[in-house]
Amino acid sequence: MIQARRRFTDAFASGALWGAACFVVLMLAALVGYLIYLGGSAISWHFLTGMSSEMNAGGGVGPQIYNSFYILILTLVFTVPVSLAAGIYLQEYAATGWFRSAVQFSAESLATVPSIVMGLFGLLVFVQTLRWGFSALAGALTLTVLNLPALTRVTQEALASVPGTLREASMAVGGTKWQTVLRIVLPSSIGPLTTGIVLISGRIFGETAALIYTAGTSVAHGRAAYDLSPLRPAETLAVHLWYTHSEALIPDVTRIGNGSALVLLMMVLIFNVVARVVGRALTMHITRKA
Amino acid sequence: MIGANGRGGPREKMKVEDMNVFYGSFQAIKDANLNVAEHRVTALIGPSGCGKSTFIRALNRMHDLTPGARVEGRVMLDGENIYAPSVDPVTVRHRIGMVFQRANPFPKSIFENVVYGPKIHGLRSHKALVEVAEKSLRAAALWDEVKDRLNRSALDLSGGQQQRLCIARVLAVEPEVILMDEPASALDPIATSKIEDLIGELKRRYTVVIVTHSMQQAARISDSTVFFLLGELIEVGTTSEIFTRPKDKRTEDYITGRYG
Repeated sequence: MIQARRRFTDAFASGALWGAACFVVLMLAALVGYLIYLGGSAISWHFLTGMSSEMNAGGGVGPQIYNSFYILILTLVFTVPVSLAAGIYLQEYAATGWFRSAVQFSAESLATVPSIVMGLFGLLVFVQTLRWGFSALAGALTLTVLNLPALTRVTQEALASVPGTLREASMAVGGTKWQTVLRIVLPSSIGPLTTGIVLISGRIFGETAALIYTAGTSVAHGRAAYDLSPLRPAETLAVHLWYTHSEALIPDVTRIGNGSALVLLMMVLIFNVVARVVGRALTMHITRKA
Repeated sequence: MIGANGRGGPREKMKVEDMNVFYGSFQAIKDANLNVAEHRVTALIGPSGCGKSTFIRALNRMHDLTPGARVEGRVMLDGENIYAPSVDPVTVRHRIGMVFQRANPFPKSIFENVVYGPKIHGLRSHKALVEVAEKSLRAAALWDEVKDRLNRSALDLSGGQQQRLCIARVLAVEPEVILMDEPASALDPIATSKIEDLIGELKRRYTVVIVTHSMQQAARISDSTVFFLLGELIEVGTTSEIFTRPKDKRTEDYITGRYG
């Protein structure tokens, strides 16, 4: 009797956990499916590369896609070195003490700041005080501040996943701290590090609230929309999605919105897949060979 | 052969004077004194938690890496205190290498593991690195087993091979002293006997200090034996003395199996 009940409970638990896992997958599939159903027809070469429109139907999202990548890369250029350095310091160098606690506490507090607050901070500091105006640079720096804590944490966790015995081994043949970090710890954590960076790239790519008041909601017309200058308004795809639905006057707002949402979701999904594949490949490469 | 007592016999390579080691407020080693003879194998024995691993890690300043650990007293290497403020711990570890309880190869190729030390000490020429790799792997009795797959991952090797690779990695930087912290405790009997044979070879060129939980192993491979109990260094003597005529009652109790 008790045996039977135990077995039933066990089967029930397995089933419930399996069900919850399936639910997650189904939610994603439903979301993607629904967006493909709605936005699929909007996607065309013209939509992906064409200029956006303020008033008339038939606009594209070319400049917005360009700006999304532009701001992503600019943000990574600032975020990756700083958070790598901070993460390495916290995990490998900082002795437990008040300074380490202070840095850790600051990073964690920073991580809890809502992105819209960060956007207003960027508006005050970069857009107004520094007089950069709505610009890709203001947006990228705002996103840098927003994502520093997360990427620092990613770095710390990636480094923490490297067994201490490897550090000891390096020290035991006369390696310095820096040599140990550079030649053993960082290469050994390259997989989780890359995965973390690419996942955060997905977040940067889809970030909206922090960009509305910093990178702006407009793009220049014509070729100027693809300018390389960081000091120009640079509406991203995610911001465009919000903007068309809340402010724009175009008649085909639903089509543009659905299409943008689909492109955005696909991009973020691609980031996730790339994160896994590249992370695994790099780990394999490092462990197999020099 | 009188090794540890210093009456004639081999030269004294290392000398520990009044060593105390603390983890925070806990004292793990109490007033230890020891002479380590050159080109001899010195075994540290004692029950679990007696401080033998703590002691050996103090011999090349590995405790510098442990937060909260503190070492007092002097550890002389060729008459120079390795804890003197002017001494660089990195140089100390270059001269006094260490092999750990669990094999810890880097997640790199076999070749890259062996040449890691020489590389970080500035050896660049590929030809020279290849020579060092072969020499070190031969000295660690691993060459014949891996010479055809030097570019394969070190993680593909068996546990015993990994441990010999770690020994080769230490040998490649040509240390003067090799510390081994229970190097065979995670290995099967065949791999263990290979490591033991190797240690017998190594003492011709190096001074070896080894922690072992196996009294049989200490008896087989060491010239002198040191018995630790509860953080105290109880007795030092030639291995045959310790195992046949221990002076201290506590040593005798341990040798005859009356302690865990």
